Amino acid sequence: MLLNELKVGDQANIIRIADDVFRTKLLEMGIMPGTLVTLVLKAPFNGPIAFSYENTMLSIRKEDANNIFVEKMMNHA
Amino acid sequence: MKIALFGNPNTGKSTVFNLLTGLRQKIGNFAGVTVEKKSGLVSVKGIAHELIDVPGVYSVYPSNKEEKVVYELLMSSPINEKPDLGIVVADASNLSRSLFLFSQLIDCGLPLVLVINMNDIAEKKGIHIDLNSLKRTFSNTPIVLMNARVGLGKDRLLNALSSQIDELKTEQTQVSNTLKALSDLSGQEQEARQRHEHIGEIIQESVRTAEKSQRSHTLDRWLTHPIFGYLIFAAILFVIFQFVFSFASYPMDAIETGFEWLTIGIKGLMPDGPLSALICDGIIPGISGVLVFIPQIGILFFFIALLEDSGYLARAVFLMDRLVRPFGLNGRSVVPLLSSMACAIPGVMATRGIPNYKERIITIFVAPLMSCSARIPVFTLLIGLVIPKMKLLGFINLQGLVLLGLYVLGIVSALFISWIMHLILKQEKRSYYLMEIPEFKRPLWRNIFITVFEKIKVFTTEAGGIILAISIVLWALASYGPSEQRSAAIQSLKKTSEYKTKDKVEREGLVNAVLLENSYIGIVGKGIEPIIKPIGYDWKIGIALITSFAAREVFVGSLSTIYANGGTGSEFRLSERLKKQKNPDGTMVFSLRTGISLMVFYVYAMQCLSTLAIVKRETNSWKWPALQLVSFGFLAYLGGWICFSLL
Repeated sequence: MLLNELKVGDQANIIRIADDVFRTKLLEMGIMPGTLVTLVLKAPFNGPIAFSYENTMLSIRKEDANNIFVEKMMNHA
Repeated sequence: MKIALFGNPNTGKSTVFNLLTGLRQKIGNFAGVTVEKKSGLVSVKGIAHELIDVPGVYSVYPSNKEEKVVYELLMSSPINEKPDLGIVVADASNLSRSLFLFSQLIDCGLPLVLVINMNDIAEKKGIHIDLNSLKRTFSNTPIVLMNARVGLGKDRLLNALSSQIDELKTEQTQVSNTLKALSDLSGQEQEARQRHEHIGEIIQESVRTAEKSQRSHTLDRWLTHPIFGYLIFAAILFVIFQFVFSFASYPMDAIETGFEWLTIGIKGLMPDGPLSALICDGIIPGISGVLVFIPQIGILFFFIALLEDSGYLARAVFLMDRLVRPFGLNGRSVVPLLSSMACAIPGVMATRGIPNYKERIITIFVAPLMSCSARIPVFTLLIGLVIPKMKLLGFINLQGLVLLGLYVLGIVSALFISWIMHLILKQEKRSYYLMEIPEFKRPLWRNIFITVFEKIKVFTTEAGGIILAISIVLWALASYGPSEQRSAAIQSLKKTSEYKTKDKVEREGLVNAVLLENSYIGIVGKGIEPIIKPIGYDWKIGIALITSFAAREVFVGSLSTIYANGGTGSEFRLSERLKKQKNPDGTMVFSLRTGISLMVFYVYAMQCLSTLAIVKRETNSWKWPALQLVSFGFLAYLGGWICFSLL
């Protein structure tokens, strides 16, 4: 599923990032396949989303979030 | 010696910079680009060294403007521009990401000092950094713990800098650059992967993380709530506007009154003559005209810095981004544009936070269309003149409705022009909106104070000169004219029956009107009458248009001077006087259609040289202010013509 399809509070593992340039940019920030992310906020009117990883909260636009494929973690509190 | 300060965004890099340099800072641009270059002086063992604040980046590989600046500073700048030493500020809670940049910089061959900042916050989160283990891994680099917000660790950092500087002096070893300057993306990606793997091993050895304490997001949910989020943002803006509009007026009045006293004082000391006139009527009002902006700039940046430093601004940007994106704007454009409703100058200066060049240029370009406070005297005068005092449906004040309409026209036009520019302007590269949402912090007064101080300094020293020069030129053109023509005009005025029946004060007013009419500006004003006739203005309004290029509110004063017939006096009487003015054919000068045409003209016209000066300063080129002057002038004329023709 896509990062954007997660609900607020869902945890997921990143599987693949589609866009080349975007993938490299995220990689430099320490986000890559295998990184555990939590969806924290969704802005109103289909605006940006914010997710946390490690100790950081990062916001990206929805269309960029659609390039991030994730696997949702089950059974978390 | 040149020392460069590196770090990821939100690592407290600016706080370290402010701590080391204090007010000894200089703000400019990196050569050829609009990326801000801050530099300052830091004294290490009594010797001053230049400290360059490098833009916050995650990597030195150039994929955006900031990274390009960092890359070029390291790789291709001339030897004397290259930093000799670097400081890397790392966030203790995010050590692995900071080490990524740090290890790239090591590979560049630059001697470094690593600062691990905000260790106290990391400890609270259960993150413990084994400093000795890190020191063993990076044995060539001094590593210091710091808590820059409270000033802790400053001495440790200065000592580490001093030892690195001593080492640099003794051994002139050739540093080798082993960073592969990879231009292809897949190579960069592969390199970054290996680097992360390596850093992962270091982190495993040196960082122990206790049980994961989850950061609370309750406040964030409220601040970005579809209803409460916008309400909170609106309330914060309301408070800021209250301060800028009502409280800025006291220091502004004080500055103006102070300079008026100074003028009176100097006039008393100096004999009348051209020199006294130049000083008292040209230079002093010019300086006053620059300094009068300081309260608004100061108050606005106090709040913007407060919002930024506390972390709220990132939430507001997150909330607003979607609403302004269709117009080619960024969530970060919202505060600068709204600030422009007080004054476009701090608004334009506040666009520094917009990371994308195109979005920043669009924001700067349309900012003057937001109706600023200098238009209020012009609008109130004209509305009082031509719009009848009446209520629509029994409760809507028509005059108030027109004023609101002018504001709405400005906002709608700003958004429309943004949208057009968004379609026209080329994007250099696909841009990504990648914004860290920092944790809330108690704002640090030192950081806020330094921001306010720097903004005021930049405005007065860099834009102030241009504003002062042009306003003195405008004053000279309005006070001098061909002397024969002037004395002839005065002679013929004195023969008129109107002049003879007036008292001394009113005579003086009539003489001033004739002098302005026969000044160089007056001659130009008369000369442009054929051009402004189609939009409903006579040459007297033409003169006021030209003088008000210095600042919009000057329009009111100029009208008062030029329409001296019918008595001089307060502004209140000005509108009575203007109502009586007749064209040679007997019709009213300030008819409804002329009044509306003038109001629309002032919505668009780029009648503010201070804004032009600051746009030049912020975009680093005359191209954008020139384009604003021409295109907004055209829109003003077109709008005026449409209103005058249709009504």
